[in-house]
Amino acid sequence: MNPASLLNAALDDLLARVRPLLAVIQDGRRGAGAGILVGDGLALTNNHVVARGRSVRITLEDDGTYEARIAARDPEVDLALLHFPGGSGLPAAVFASGRPRPGEMVFAFGHPWGQRNVLTGGVLSAVASARTRRGKIPVLRTDARLAPGNSGGPLLNAAGEVIGLNAMIFGGDQGIAIPSSLILEFLEKARQDIPSRSIPEGVL
Amino acid sequence: MSNVLVDLSNAMAAAAEKAGASTVTVNARRRMPASGIAIAPDQILTANHVVEFDEGLTVALPDGTEIPATLAGRDPGSDLALLRLSQPKAQTAEPAQESRIGQLVLALGRPSAEGIEASLGVVSAVGGPVHTRHGGLDKYIRTDTTPFPGFSGGPLVDAEGRVVGLNTSGFGHGAAITIPAELAWKIGDQLAKHGTVKRGYLGIRGQGVEIPEAAQKALKRDQATGLLLVGVESDSPAQAAGLMVGDIIVAINGRPIFNHDELLAYLSSDAVGKPAPVEVLRGGQPQTLTVTIGARE
Repeated sequence: MNPASLLNAALDDLLARVRPLLAVIQDGRRGAGAGILVGDGLALTNNHVVARGRSVRITLEDDGTYEARIAARDPEVDLALLHFPGGSGLPAAVFASGRPRPGEMVFAFGHPWGQRNVLTGGVLSAVASARTRRGKIPVLRTDARLAPGNSGGPLLNAAGEVIGLNAMIFGGDQGIAIPSSLILEFLEKARQDIPSRSIPEGVL
Repeated sequence: MSNVLVDLSNAMAAAAEKAGASTVTVNARRRMPASGIAIAPDQILTANHVVEFDEGLTVALPDGTEIPATLAGRDPGSDLALLRLSQPKAQTAEPAQESRIGQLVLALGRPSAEGIEASLGVVSAVGGPVHTRHGGLDKYIRTDTTPFPGFSGGPLVDAEGRVVGLNTSGFGHGAAITIPAELAWKIGDQLAKHGTVKRGYLGIRGQGVEIPEAAQKALKRDQATGLLLVGVESDSPAQAAGLMVGDIIVAINGRPIFNHDELLAYLSSDAVGKPAPVEVLRGGQPQTLTVTIGARE
């Protein structure tokens, strides 16, 4: 196979691994956001995706639908963790642990303008910062095309690991993602704040 | 896990790192800083339109060191400017030899201290010569990379981290183009030596005209248009060479002239002071005169 065909095969493989992790998140309002499964009946999305809704509904790639409750949220970094008991046996996303490198290939996965499971590609444009009430936080910028409906969806590296969660809310014309370092902090804290649930070590 | 996609990703990140080491921040205007390319340890090539000030300029190196710089020269015709650093501390970029349509490229910029920024694309077109507001460009590259704010003056780099050209959005309409490395480096050298780019002067006014078929036959080639002279300045190189109103310039130094653009592109190159054969149609017959290109003051 020539390099371009090998590249396409690698992309097929990446897509096959990531598709089952992607969720459609609806909170009763018009429109939908995206989310990713992080294991043990938990899904991660942007806080603004579920900010006002009361009942949150999660739809997975196989059209399985679950009612979920908001288990934790942090509006400052625009993250929310959803719990849906029916999803405890489902696979979990792998988070990247390495330093994000400008120029590396990235893929955004989500539901822009309501179209499901859309992949857009580009590179990591910059490791920048955004100002919040809590101070400066690191954010990732990409030149991959993002649109409403990408919010809460994963930004993946070439190995299919999650390097960030897309969050158009900081937006402008360029895609912004919350880096995995902030997500992991949020998940660790959220895990401590859910007394009723015990999540095994190493499961995020 | 290693696969071709991961390898490609690592290669592009490495290219951004390599070329990023010679991509600097240029502080020379009121609004946000722009980018620049080190072509020598003390020379930074950038876009002319981002250098709004003549004094008080600084350049920030990738490690954050801020170094005072002076303006060595400007060339509005190609939208290039050269800054000279007070200390020769920049890491010199490696220029690429050529660009091919379809090749993968990254546009890089360093408009802030937060680090190098990148945008992916391919070379969409290689064009030129083209007439610009203050002169001409022999050759230019178009890409589908995203020109983020502050990217003007930064490099377009290939998959090996070599500089394919210098990006600028200074030619208007918000569109970014890339000045090929070979041309950019050449202009940079001229700015370093003379502080300005010499532009050729002929002393003619002309307009594009169709060449009648009979005259094309006499020319022994298919050339549909040429530049009709409607004015020859007195005491000009054109007059000295014997060019007359009514002549149609069809070639200069072996390069076909279809209209103004090709002539302008020729006059913006190293032509100044050198004799060049000018092929004209006079009375429908080809004739070759020799003109010594003057310098535009």
